[in-house]
Amino acid sequence: MKFLTKINRQYLITISILLLFVSVIGYFVLKTILTDEIKEDIFQKEYAIINEIKTQNNTPNIYPIIETKLISKNMIKPKSYKEIFIFDKTENENEPYLEYTNTVKINNKYYLIRLRHSLIEADDLIIAISLPLLLLLVLTLTILFFTTKKINKTVWKDFEENLKAIENFSFNKLNNLKLKQTNIQEFDRLNKTLTTLTKKLTTDYNTLKEFTENASHEIQTPISIILLNLEEILQQDLQEKTFKQLVTTINAVKRLSNLNKSLLLLSKIENKQYIADNKVLINNNIKKKINELSPLINSKGIRIHNKFNGDFFININSELADVLLNNLLFNAINHNIYNGNIYIEIHENELTICNTGSENSLTNKTIFNRFSKENSKSYGLGLAIVKQICNTHNMQITYKKDEFHCFILKIVK
Amino acid sequence: MKVLIVEDEIELLIGVSNYLTKEKYTCELAENFEKANYKLSIYEYDIILLDITLPDGNGIELLKSIKKNNIHAGIIIISAKSSLDDKINGLDLGADDYMTKPFQLSELNSRIKAVLRRRKYEGDNILIFNEIILNTDSKEVNINNKPITLTKKEYDMLLYFIINKNRVLTKEAIAEHLWDDNIDLSDNYDFIYTHLNNIRRKIKSKGGTDYIKTIYGMGYKFTE
Repeated sequence: MKFLTKINRQYLITISILLLFVSVIGYFVLKTILTDEIKEDIFQKEYAIINEIKTQNNTPNIYPIIETKLISKNMIKPKSYKEIFIFDKTENENEPYLEYTNTVKINNKYYLIRLRHSLIEADDLIIAISLPLLLLLVLTLTILFFTTKKINKTVWKDFEENLKAIENFSFNKLNNLKLKQTNIQEFDRLNKTLTTLTKKLTTDYNTLKEFTENASHEIQTPISIILLNLEEILQQDLQEKTFKQLVTTINAVKRLSNLNKSLLLLSKIENKQYIADNKVLINNNIKKKINELSPLINSKGIRIHNKFNGDFFININSELADVLLNNLLFNAINHNIYNGNIYIEIHENELTICNTGSENSLTNKTIFNRFSKENSKSYGLGLAIVKQICNTHNMQITYKKDEFHCFILKIVK
Repeated sequence: MKVLIVEDEIELLIGVSNYLTKEKYTCELAENFEKANYKLSIYEYDIILLDITLPDGNGIELLKSIKKNNIHAGIIIISAKSSLDDKINGLDLGADDYMTKPFQLSELNSRIKAVLRRRKYEGDNILIFNEIILNTDSKEVNINNKPITLTKKEYDMLLYFIINKNRVLTKEAIAEHLWDDNIDLSDNYDFIYTHLNNIRRKIKSKGGTDYIKTIYGMGYKFTE
């Protein structure tokens, strides 16, 4: 929910409750005042009637508002008020009346005086109160709505701009986070905190990045020295056993070096150090890659079946695009059987690579984990790298086993 | 051929120098920026092997200064960094090739030879090994003056063998030479046998000798 919507909703709820409360109180207050007025009027009439009886000895009767009659002593009743309804022929409905009953003693005779005064109907009263209040509600809300909208345009404008700047902020970009001064204390405080925080994070990020890279690079130098010396020893006249041990050692050192390179690549992808600056057409790249790998494919007697049903573009660094397809294809070749098949299908925003292979399905959960491997020869990093590239490029990679082992690469919308 | 090796790691410097001296190169060594700069100002070289990270400066700066001073030497950058950006940057600045650590000496030799050939240092670009004659310009191979047709990979492999003759090469080293870094992920080198057998067959068909010796099933040596 937007801030403005939330505020407007709060206003609406608060003001509605307040107005409801005010109208209920108003109803009772107004009713009391009106009844008091009516009672005063009744007293004046009673006084006039008593005078009329005293001087003229006349008992006036006007239905339904005045009723007087002579009564015997035992019929004396105390003074009372009650609300009654009397049918009104002209309006064809029951009208409310306040009925006043009293007995008075005039010249040793007892008289009953009954006076009635019409009351304002309750619904009329409610309408009289709520109509202006409702008008007030609508008016207040309209004014508030437009005022906040105007405030939003001016006050929130800077905030929105700063928000955009924060959203676009990336540790990769060299420029620091620059936020606009808003002249609103709370926002400026937030800006200051964010600027300090990002500055610190950028420094930490760069330190870590440098450390990882330096560590990886430094490892390559001693490995170079080891390999160089081993290669020279290999040139000597060696016994078969020694020779084989030496070649195994050389290959293990090379694995160590490649492992190091792969881990460095993984951390660089994770740190988003590859900027997606290229729109790569996967259709073309996969054709190129297949061509490049054809000796490897041919040596295993694998047949490739292409089905391109659309153009699949990815916004990606071209080096990473190469790594992505390389790893997926190598996976399909290495885990394939002799004289097997690879099926490549491309749709718009989707690439599927299926290969024949072992009957057993791979474990879906661990297959993309680092160092998850089927045989000891692979590093178990190829698919982890693929996964990491997908994670950082709005893509999704899934594995499925039916007749073949299938990897499906999809753009997530 | 005179080679200047700029590398701050002494062990590596001596190792490379020993190997290249054996391969009939004359080597000069520089373990830092200042020494390299000094040597470049007084001597001329055919090849410069340049490490990027030096204790007292950056190899890239040295590369810029070499190009500014019109020094006509082939330059091969040897870097611990394998990122494509660094590679492109180095090549843009005028380096002839870019190798990443760790590298194999046979591969280094092959790259140096390629740079020299491109720069026409070795005259007519003809490599001769007994009855085998390789023309690196036209990429033609003749056995006993009869031409044979090799695929690109087969030609590359034969050239690699002849340049590194009398040297034991593991099949992994050959695969890496033919495939660059891509082979890292592969667990089968069967295609090497296919290429090897094709080369042997084609050479023999023109009456040539099979000089490729298999060593204990794990390595090869091109020798008489």
